[in-house]
Amino acid sequence: MMDPRWRPTVNEREFIEQALQSDLRVDGRRPFDFRKLKIAFGREDGSAEVELGETRVMGYVTAQLVQPYKDRPNEGTLAIFTEFSPMADPAFEPGRPGEAAIELGRVIDRGLRESRAVDMESLCVVAGKHVWSVRVDLHILDNEGNLIDAANIAALAALSTFRRPECTVGGDDGQQVTVHDSEVRDPLPLTIHHLPIAVTFAYFGDGNVMVIDPTYKEEAVMGGRMTATINSNGDVCAIQKAGGEGVMSSVIMQCLRIASVKAADITSKIKREVDDYTTEKALQKVKRTPALVAKKVNVPDVTMEESTHSALENQASKAPNDGQQIIKGDDDHQNIKRIPPLTVDRTVKHKQTSTFVGGPSNWDPYSKGVSLSSLRISQFPDPPAIPNDGKHEDTKPMLTESNPEVKSVLNSGTAGESDEVKESRSPKSLIDAVKPKHRRKKKQHGNS
Amino acid sequence: MESRKPQRSALVDSYVVPGDVILDLADMTNQTIKLGAGLRQDCDTIQATSAGRLRLSKPNKYWVENSQKRYVPSVEDTVLGIVVDTKPDNFLVDIKGPNLAFLPVLSFEGGTRRNIPKFEIGTLIYARMVKANSIMNPELSCMDASGKAAEFGQLKSGYTFETSTGLARMLLSSPTCPLLEALGKKLSFEIAVGLNGRVWVNAPSPSNVIVVSSAIKESESYSRLQQKSMVEKLLAKLS
Repeated sequence: MMDPRWRPTVNEREFIEQALQSDLRVDGRRPFDFRKLKIAFGREDGSAEVELGETRVMGYVTAQLVQPYKDRPNEGTLAIFTEFSPMADPAFEPGRPGEAAIELGRVIDRGLRESRAVDMESLCVVAGKHVWSVRVDLHILDNEGNLIDAANIAALAALSTFRRPECTVGGDDGQQVTVHDSEVRDPLPLTIHHLPIAVTFAYFGDGNVMVIDPTYKEEAVMGGRMTATINSNGDVCAIQKAGGEGVMSSVIMQCLRIASVKAADITSKIKREVDDYTTEKALQKVKRTPALVAKKVNVPDVTMEESTHSALENQASKAPNDGQQIIKGDDDHQNIKRIPPLTVDRTVKHKQTSTFVGGPSNWDPYSKGVSLSSLRISQFPDPPAIPNDGKHEDTKPMLTESNPEVKSVLNSGTAGESDEVKESRSPKSLIDAVKPKHRRKKKQHGNS
Repeated sequence: MESRKPQRSALVDSYVVPGDVILDLADMTNQTIKLGAGLRQDCDTIQATSAGRLRLSKPNKYWVENSQKRYVPSVEDTVLGIVVDTKPDNFLVDIKGPNLAFLPVLSFEGGTRRNIPKFEIGTLIYARMVKANSIMNPELSCMDASGKAAEFGQLKSGYTFETSTGLARMLLSSPTCPLLEALGKKLSFEIAVGLNGRVWVNAPSPSNVIVVSSAIKESESYSRLQQKSMVEKLLAKLS
């Protein structure tokens, strides 16, 4: 069968090379111009979509608590995964990653990791036991040339907007890890020291003609390619020159000088876009009023009592495996999370041995992930989100009774509305806590 | 005599979607209708099978016109193809269609077994579609109906790029589309447009080729007036 990869016609090949001799490129750019760069962010933190001309790449960052590697007990991990969809280019085969996919992942990985752009030590929770493992997924949506640069920018933009849930260490032995929900404590950004920008050069002829940011057609015609990963300070983080035409060292030095200028441009562009996004997010947060939140939450709680149970079980069985919930995909998931914590706690106890149910947050690159018994992460309850004031007070104490660790966390730091509630009913006893539990139980039975 | 006059569909020049009934044959007698691309007879009705604008060529030819990246072969179209393989009897030519097209080695003007042209892989060819049906590979020819070369054959030098089929049709429309007319007043260039959404441009200087090709690519969604003003702006920038 025909090779699905696009081959240029003889005419195009000749024309592209001939035009380059007089410093002309077929899309009207000059040799050292980048195509138009557009960065857009998703609704959730840690997702970015980059358009470089017609090339489109989506980056998506997630994090999970895992056991660290033996040789680096107090460092988190960072892994890059690439996804080359056949929708982007017929030359990409579904399933196994091709040569290009592996090279792209390796180049970006090298640029980020070797230069220590992301602070790994700040991702450590308990040395030797729990560290954050950050995963960057890069999806190629449309291939119009120069995937490496576009994917690199997507990875950086996604990492800069990513927020990991805050977690605290406590308990009797000081080994209990509590992961706080984003509603309770603001999630934390990653510490990023600098942005290593990949700049790709394509060489034509005998290596004496070079262009920056080659298009799809230019990539098909070029004799060689070099990717220099460089940050805005001019530090070279990585260079990739795989095969192709040989290049003089003086040309490489010239490339690096050009690359450092381009890197500064792109860095400022990424920073500006990220700042815009974060301020917009912050503004959205300010606008949200507690009354509104409560109203919204109320709906699923009352209307879908039946389905709630099965959903809860799903979640509960997932929770011990994950030890946390970072990905909050659909609205459904969100709703489940807001169900009064009492029920969650109970189901967790019952369902500890239940089978694993697949879900969005269940990926696990390191199969030796932490087992439930060793981790014992307490499911930190969400802020009580019951609409009417009477119930609001009720929910509060019951969780303290069921889980002693949670109580300490609650006292130490709960934010916002729950604080007010607590102050209004300051003297509390165990009896207080028990009563509403029964009341609530009855009510549920009555409903269903 | 009156009854022989074909009845006109109410949907002509409006947009149709698959499943739309174009004509009801029940209330037509003794008439001939010719169906083109995107239409199908289903019992007593003529239905659209693709989305696009319904066209009528008087007196009785109907077809659906749309703009897409993939080309659906249709007889008598002129296309630009790329040679991907050479077989003893045929050249295999990519025409952006669902299948490769065959170009018989003898279908050139005065073609005999002894003077078979030598095309390397990647050669650009301007050809005419002579066979197109759903069960066989389409067949091309580099001769017009009377056996003359008539501009068909290999295109040398120049630059090719891909467009949608709608844009290619717009470039070939008559009267000449304002874009090419305005460009032609200032610049000299050769152009070959394949209905399969490939365009070849050649000019003495590479910069002219780039100007013309980028202007054509940009005009994808422009109206006639917008095309004119775009070209004027472009040419003002050049001079």
